[in-house]
Amino acid sequence: MTIDGEYTFRAPRETVWELLQDPDVLVKALPGAKKLERIGEDRFDGIMRVGVGPVTAAEWSVNVQLKDLVPPESYAMQMEGKSPLGFTRGTGTVTLVAEDEATTRMHYHGDVQLGGKIAGVGQRLLDQVAKLLARQGLEALNREVEARLAR
Amino acid sequence: MNRSYVGQSVPRNEDRRLLTGQALFVDDVQLEGMLHVAFLRSDHAHALIRGVDVSAALARPGVAAVYTAEDLGDYWRPGPLLVPPPPVEGLTFNEATQVPLAKEKVFHVGEPIALVVAESRYVAEDALADILVDFEPLGAVVDPEAALAPDAPILHTQFGTNLAAHVVQGHGDYEQAKAEADLVISRRFLYDRGAACALENRAVAARWDPKAEELTVWDTTQAPIPIRNGLARMLGLLESQVHVVAPFVGGGFGPKIMMFYPEEVLIPWVAMKLGQPVKWTEDRQENFYATTQERGQVHDAEIAVTQDGRILGVRDFFLHDTGAYDSYGLTVPINSQCTLLGPYSVPSYHSEFKAVFTNKITVTPVRGAGRQHGVFVMERLLDLAARALGMDPAEIRRRNYLGNEAFPYNHQIIFQDFSPLFYDSGDYLPALETALETIGYDSFREEQRRMREAGRHIGVGVVSYIEGTGIGPYEGARVTIDPSGRVRVATGLGTQGQGHYTAFAQVVAEVLDVDVEQVHVTTGDTREFGWGTGTFASRGAVVAGSACHAAAQAVREKILAMAGRVLEAVEEQIELSDGHVRVRGAPERSLSLGELARMANPLRGAVKPGTEPGLEATAYFGPDRGSTASGVHAMIVEVDPETAMVEIKRYVVVHDCGRLINPMIVEGQVQGGVAQGIGNAFYEKLIFDDSGQLLNASFMDYLLPTALDVPRVEMAHRETPAPMNPLGLKGVGEAGCIPTGAAFAQAVEDALPEYGLEILEIPLSPNRLFSLLEDAHDH
Amino acid sequence: MTSPVELSVRVNGASHQRSVEPRLLLSDFLRHELNLTGTHVGCEHGVCGACTILMDGEAVRSCLIFAVQADGHELTTVEGLAAGDDALHPLQTAFREAHGLQCGFCTPGFLMTLIPFLRDNPTPSDREIREGISGNLCRCTGYQNIVQAVRLAAERMAPEATP
Repeated sequence: MTIDGEYTFRAPRETVWELLQDPDVLVKALPGAKKLERIGEDRFDGIMRVGVGPVTAAEWSVNVQLKDLVPPESYAMQMEGKSPLGFTRGTGTVTLVAEDEATTRMHYHGDVQLGGKIAGVGQRLLDQVAKLLARQGLEALNREVEARLAR
Repeated sequence: MNRSYVGQSVPRNEDRRLLTGQALFVDDVQLEGMLHVAFLRSDHAHALIRGVDVSAALARPGVAAVYTAEDLGDYWRPGPLLVPPPPVEGLTFNEATQVPLAKEKVFHVGEPIALVVAESRYVAEDALADILVDFEPLGAVVDPEAALAPDAPILHTQFGTNLAAHVVQGHGDYEQAKAEADLVISRRFLYDRGAACALENRAVAARWDPKAEELTVWDTTQAPIPIRNGLARMLGLLESQVHVVAPFVGGGFGPKIMMFYPEEVLIPWVAMKLGQPVKWTEDRQENFYATTQERGQVHDAEIAVTQDGRILGVRDFFLHDTGAYDSYGLTVPINSQCTLLGPYSVPSYHSEFKAVFTNKITVTPVRGAGRQHGVFVMERLLDLAARALGMDPAEIRRRNYLGNEAFPYNHQIIFQDFSPLFYDSGDYLPALETALETIGYDSFREEQRRMREAGRHIGVGVVSYIEGTGIGPYEGARVTIDPSGRVRVATGLGTQGQGHYTAFAQVVAEVLDVDVEQVHVTTGDTREFGWGTGTFASRGAVVAGSACHAAAQAVREKILAMAGRVLEAVEEQIELSDGHVRVRGAPERSLSLGELARMANPLRGAVKPGTEPGLEATAYFGPDRGSTASGVHAMIVEVDPETAMVEIKRYVVVHDCGRLINPMIVEGQVQGGVAQGIGNAFYEKLIFDDSGQLLNASFMDYLLPTALDVPRVEMAHRETPAPMNPLGLKGVGEAGCIPTGAAFAQAVEDALPEYGLEILEIPLSPNRLFSLLEDAHDH
Repeated sequence: MTSPVELSVRVNGASHQRSVEPRLLLSDFLRHELNLTGTHVGCEHGVCGACTILMDGEAVRSCLIFAVQADGHELTTVEGLAAGDDALHPLQTAFREAHGLQCGFCTPGFLMTLIPFLRDNPTPSDREIREGISGNLCRCTGYQNIVQAVRLAAERMAPEATP
């Protein structure tokens, strides 16, 4: 499954970059995220609770490794997740472009593979769910950005 | 005999229990102190298992035990090879049978790795989430062609290849036939995977009684006796200590003949280990991963014909996807190889197949069992040849049928029962003519033209097939006159809705002249009858029915002999009718069968030397070889080229399964088969991604035909009696679904002649047909 | 785990009080708590219809309902369909005569779907019958004899329906 998209933040690029590296911010923004902690340089462990369509929500333990960091422009990541419903593995890239001093456009791309029960019953809906989750997460992040700038 | 029951549409004896919710299915078994099992299954199609940590699961309240392969000790061993390869010269066969729980490696998504025993299924499933498995993923083999590529990951490394089998069969000289032919057509045909989807999922329950030293197992199997025998062997028990019951079974369709499923091996073992009854019931999602499937084949086939449409020869190379294991041997591809020849005279035939291992669920017979693939290839080749020759599709078939003088006909290749592919009997041409007449073939073109002027696209398809049925080795039956006057019949088969409780009762009722309702049939209980093989290959009615007939005949003789003694008349003077014996011409000298049965089992006095107590007999029937059923399917479809939706307007079946025991049951079998055939042709396809993940493992995404998708089937019977058994029976269980795809393809092409479509694949979803139409349009 | 919840239902005319886990499915409650195993479970995701029962006279899928949701309701299962030990409901008789069942696993679901269907539409056309049962899967019969059985039952039940 491929997820592609872009999102515009009303904030300077450095601010957006900072937030994207802050697990405390991300855990609040990502839908279903219950825990996210830095376990090493550019490595994060987390727990997310996600359900897809008819599939009962389950807890996923997630490990994310950030790579090729070019602050404040871009980074790549490798992600692995496990749950009673199966596993997920994927890679992604995030690019931040400064449109102007107060606007940042984010491009994101992900290739995700799913296995186990989740692949067998959720596939039809996964595209939509993934897009929805991405959008919800980014909107929450944007609210956080704006709140920060307003302080 | 005064009354005739064989041949009558008698309502079924088993229906009352089924209709009132009183029939026992395996999941209905409830025992005091029963524990429930859930299986942890692999999320990966191909991976090494680095470790399994069950400690958290064991600590969960309500969990009684958790087992992995390590815990099984000596009990862990690969399952038996169910069907050894047939004696074909030069055959290669690499045997890899499934294991109870994966130890070092998993070979398909859904392969069991551990099992949890808990106080409820809910808790057992909770505990699955506590188990941690450390996988090291390996590359997956999904496509059967890619399986043989030099750089393909190897499943069973001991073979150094993914080749499971290589078999070459044939007769005559195809190359010479090709050289002499006026027309040679070669194409690639694809037949993809589907699932049987019996409405009842599999289930196993087991209880060990330490005082009686007896194991009782309830199993949704089609073959309870071989399950008993195998369990006794594996568990070190006498066969008499193992009691297997296949009670009412909610549909079989093939996968329930597979043995031994890991769950069948493990549930009885757990019951003995824990000393408590246990039950496991598959859920629907598990069924898509844990129950065997069928159908993936790729054929490169060629036909050589003369200008006037006579077949000179056929050549076929095909790949058969056997999935992760080949425990069921080569039954499916051998069926494809043999059934391809159909009702036709094929002077030369070269058929070669390779079975390959892939990281998918194991393939074993599903209703049709490979036959539909062969029929699809042959019928499509004939259609393409007819089109190239400008000949009517019905006519090319007419010209190639084996004539009635040909029987018995030997195709000189080996069939799935290890004996030469013999056709015992047949009468093909009248079946075709009946089908054409019923569907109105002659006037159809006119109708088609009229509809076309109104902007509608209708087409007709007519195809033939044969089905080798009723194969050995044997079945048996015991018939007993109960002192109540009712008749008891026991046979070793399992039954999954085929109406055996009624059909066998009819056979016995006719011989003994009693009411059908007075005949009580037991199937699928090893305590009642302990010899037999199982319900498969459309053989139940033929083989066990013949055994019932023989046993009833023997009881009849005992009745007459005993009545002669008791009523003091010569046997020839004794009349058996209506549940009574009478002396002819002296109706007052009469006894009921119940009275006679009581007298045959006296508490005092002497039983005459050389006689046996009771009115009971056991008989076996083992045909030398099977009997060949045949038929013609014709259908009219309407296709909307805009949406690629196909509506089946009419469906005609002319079927010849020899003598009919119960026409109502036979018609029901055919109608149900046609519905499965339609699902196979247009709705049902298991979709795997490149990593071997099954993407449509639910009834929301894997579509079974509903009442709105299946047409009414118009049916005509022809009865060419089988010479192989005394009742002249041929099997019917699988017939309905065998030619459906081929008829469907021909009809859809016929509806859209301007597209010049060639439908070379099954199943054909509306989406796929849509893209075929677009491709055709572009050219 | 959440603590058990008190539940009170009438099933086939008999009252039952039980304390159950909130997550217990109604189908499992009927089958395993009340031992009414005539209600079958074929898919557990609401597609096959084998688990259909009546709740306050309407057909529902018992695999999609938690037992606690049935609290205070009146349920009918296939065991409650026939009037007595020997009598069959006319719909059951019609299924037998028309050979509308083979393995019989899906049959209770069809019967319970058809009871309210025939109540609301006592003289259905074949098309309406097919639509009425299109939410129930049968793998054995090809549906043809089920349609025939419904037609037969409708004919026989019609006199009772008219005053």
